[in-house]
Amino acid sequence: MYRKSMVLILIAAAAVLASGCASLGVKPWQRDVLARADMQLDSEPLTHAIDDHMYFSKEASSGGRGFAGGGCGCN
Amino acid sequence: MQLKPKVSVGADASRMRAKVARRRLIAASCALLGATAARSQDATKSAADSMSDEWAFDSALAYYHESGRVKAIEPIVNLSKTYGDGRTFSGQVVFDSLSGSSPNGALTSTKVQTFASPSGKSLSAAPTTYTTSSGQLVSESAPIYTINPGQLPVDPSYHDQRLSMSGNWGLPISRLTTTQVGGKLSYEHDFVSVSANAGVSRDFNQKNTTLSFQLNDEFDRLSPIGGAPVAASDYALFQKGGGKTKDGVGAMLGLTQVMNRRWLTEFNLSVDRFKGYLNDPYKIISVIDPSGNTTGYLYERRPGTRTRKVAYWENKAAWGRLVLDGSLRYMADSWHVRSDTAEFSARWWNFDRDRYIEPTVRWYRQTAANFYTPWLDSGGSKYIDYASADSRLAAFHAYTVGLKYGAKIEDSEDQSSSEFNVRVEYYQQTLDHRTPGPGSLQGLDLYPGLKAILVQVGYKF
Amino acid sequence: MVPATNSAPDPALRLEERGADLLAVCFSSMASSCELLLPAADRDAALELGAMAAGEARRIEAKFSRYRDDSAVADIHRSRGSAAGIELDPETASLLDFARECFELSDGLFDITSGVLRGAWKFDGSDRVPAPAAVAALLPLVGFDKLRWQSPRLWLPAGMELDFGGIGKEYAVDRAFQLVAAVREAPFLVNFGGDLRANRPTPRGPWQVGIERPGSERQAAMVLELERGALTTSGDARRFLLKDGVRYGHILDPRSGWPVRAAPRSVTVAASTCTEAGLLSTLAMLQGAGAEAFLEGQGVMHWLLR
Repeated sequence: MYRKSMVLILIAAAAVLASGCASLGVKPWQRDVLARADMQLDSEPLTHAIDDHMYFSKEASSGGRGFAGGGCGCN
Repeated sequence: MQLKPKVSVGADASRMRAKVARRRLIAASCALLGATAARSQDATKSAADSMSDEWAFDSALAYYHESGRVKAIEPIVNLSKTYGDGRTFSGQVVFDSLSGSSPNGALTSTKVQTFASPSGKSLSAAPTTYTTSSGQLVSESAPIYTINPGQLPVDPSYHDQRLSMSGNWGLPISRLTTTQVGGKLSYEHDFVSVSANAGVSRDFNQKNTTLSFQLNDEFDRLSPIGGAPVAASDYALFQKGGGKTKDGVGAMLGLTQVMNRRWLTEFNLSVDRFKGYLNDPYKIISVIDPSGNTTGYLYERRPGTRTRKVAYWENKAAWGRLVLDGSLRYMADSWHVRSDTAEFSARWWNFDRDRYIEPTVRWYRQTAANFYTPWLDSGGSKYIDYASADSRLAAFHAYTVGLKYGAKIEDSEDQSSSEFNVRVEYYQQTLDHRTPGPGSLQGLDLYPGLKAILVQVGYKF
Repeated sequence: MVPATNSAPDPALRLEERGADLLAVCFSSMASSCELLLPAADRDAALELGAMAAGEARRIEAKFSRYRDDSAVADIHRSRGSAAGIELDPETASLLDFARECFELSDGLFDITSGVLRGAWKFDGSDRVPAPAAVAALLPLVGFDKLRWQSPRLWLPAGMELDFGGIGKEYAVDRAFQLVAAVREAPFLVNFGGDLRANRPTPRGPWQVGIERPGSERQAAMVLELERGALTTSGDARRFLLKDGVRYGHILDPRSGWPVRAAPRSVTVAASTCTEAGLLSTLAMLQGAGAEAFLEGQGVMHWLLR
């Protein structure tokens, strides 16, 4: 049951790669939407930092978006 | 030939003259443009001003409150800058102050339980001994605290302060390749962590595909108050040593792909491995006899290594005034914890795009570590392999609901724009596999879970 | 892409859509096609900003034109040879200060009094190379060191001419840039006939600037990426004389009165301001065969076509 989601993520990744990265994407002049501040993957670094710290100290998992580590000594 | 070499001179000297001449030229240009701009009625910025890049400032203050337990205040500041040549710098300073009650790992009982608090500050005095109501010997100058029947044992005097600083530099080495180095230092009175990371990323396919690889190295030193307990030792015997260390290395492979004009996807695969003292020095485990009486406590003992693998997939898409962000994460570690996380947020802008609301939902579940146990049986083997009653290693599921509101403030005076935002989040953990306690413990709620609220205000410009 | 044109409040302004989400306000000034490029702007705002840039370009053109009777330059020329000289307004005075600084820095290579040489040279693609004597006759009227300049008063000897053409367009770009920058924080680019300046990268990345190969119009010889700052290009494009197989480019050395030998076909320089970049690219042209060495010595980013 828990294996399933890992497989799902990997299949999605493979699908993107297999469909050929070259056929995906946009021309440089089509980046108007993607260039917006709220479309950046790290658009909210502080919100992420606060959430990550909270979850890091309350759950057994951390990381994914980047490296977790460095947090409190409680876990 | 240089700008003003009247006589033929050596290469070094002429190069220096060229530099001096260039500086005079820049000064002359600025004088020309600056001077006339100042005279002009409506021009406000001189050429020299518009040449300098500006710092982006992002700050937030978070207040976290667990019902009946800890409260934390966390101010955090982020400064970042992109230089004209593409270099980037980002630095973050976080301070947090935590106080309140923290579960010590012991099980709720039908009797009064007494513990010594390791987290009090007045611990340098000579050790004294107490004989507690349950007949145990506690040897420490620590204040003692008692827990009433039916209550979850929490250390009421838990407090901690953390100061953490990090910096990251991005250095483009070609049009498509960027290297990145960073470091982080985190300091608490009983814990110091130092880490460094380095990475490289490369763009392909007209910058629609980015591959990145990062390495991280971390070193932590724990110096718990009163020393780090010997793992799996009897709480009453108070066997404590000095400080302990742990260290970790991690690697992450990332793929970012622009799918179309309004959809961006990211995959990250990461592995990390920690080794050393991985116990929580403040967590104990109740030893219970078949009739439900607590016969003692042991310090927890976790394996000396932990390897984690994480797969992460995030999608971001914009549709009109809506920005959708969804992510899935899967984690598996060598302690047999498996977890799934799904997070989704939708930011909805108003027509003028200067206000937004953003609801967030997050769902999380994990399986228990293979050495998690809510208690130890008194009849069991005296020599335990690994055991922890830390609920963070138990099987549980959790959800978060949140709402964020943001407003942009345009300053017509100096053409700057800033954003103010408020966020409220509610987090709840519910333990799974709620094995009933033996004997008298049968009717008690041994798995109280966790409820917390987070309020955050932020300001950035 | 078919440019969508719009009727503007200023009929001389033309609004064009260039690709998705890029507006260009185009107008003519200083014998060049000029434009203000605005990504992610609405049409009304674009026209308003365009009118600002165009107004500034035309103001500077009118003030420093050699061809108009009512220009500041015409006033100066009328005062030639008089004992009282002429008192200059602050803007003209600062341009003259700048011209003097450039003259001194370049050891006489850059000279705004060199315009009189046009009396001998007509770069019309023909083979009419002037007689050496005709050129020599004009040289006494060339040289910034021959005029007397005590700000704000100028005494220009009879027969001499001032020509701000060598810095006017670059100066106009910087002035228009400053006016627009004062009211727009979002990215924009001011381009007056190939001399351009941008305040920041577009949302889609750096500005892509095509540099034409001289002689092959509309065919970009190279594409440069510009994040912010200025780019200017000096070239001898289509203005030259050809006689006995020798090409005489239109870049004249004010000290000899003759075209600079082995001048590059075009020099493009990047700097913080257009004024600075323009001067560096002009000076590089004047170095002839030494253009590369000169630009290396200045430590500026440059692109050269020969």
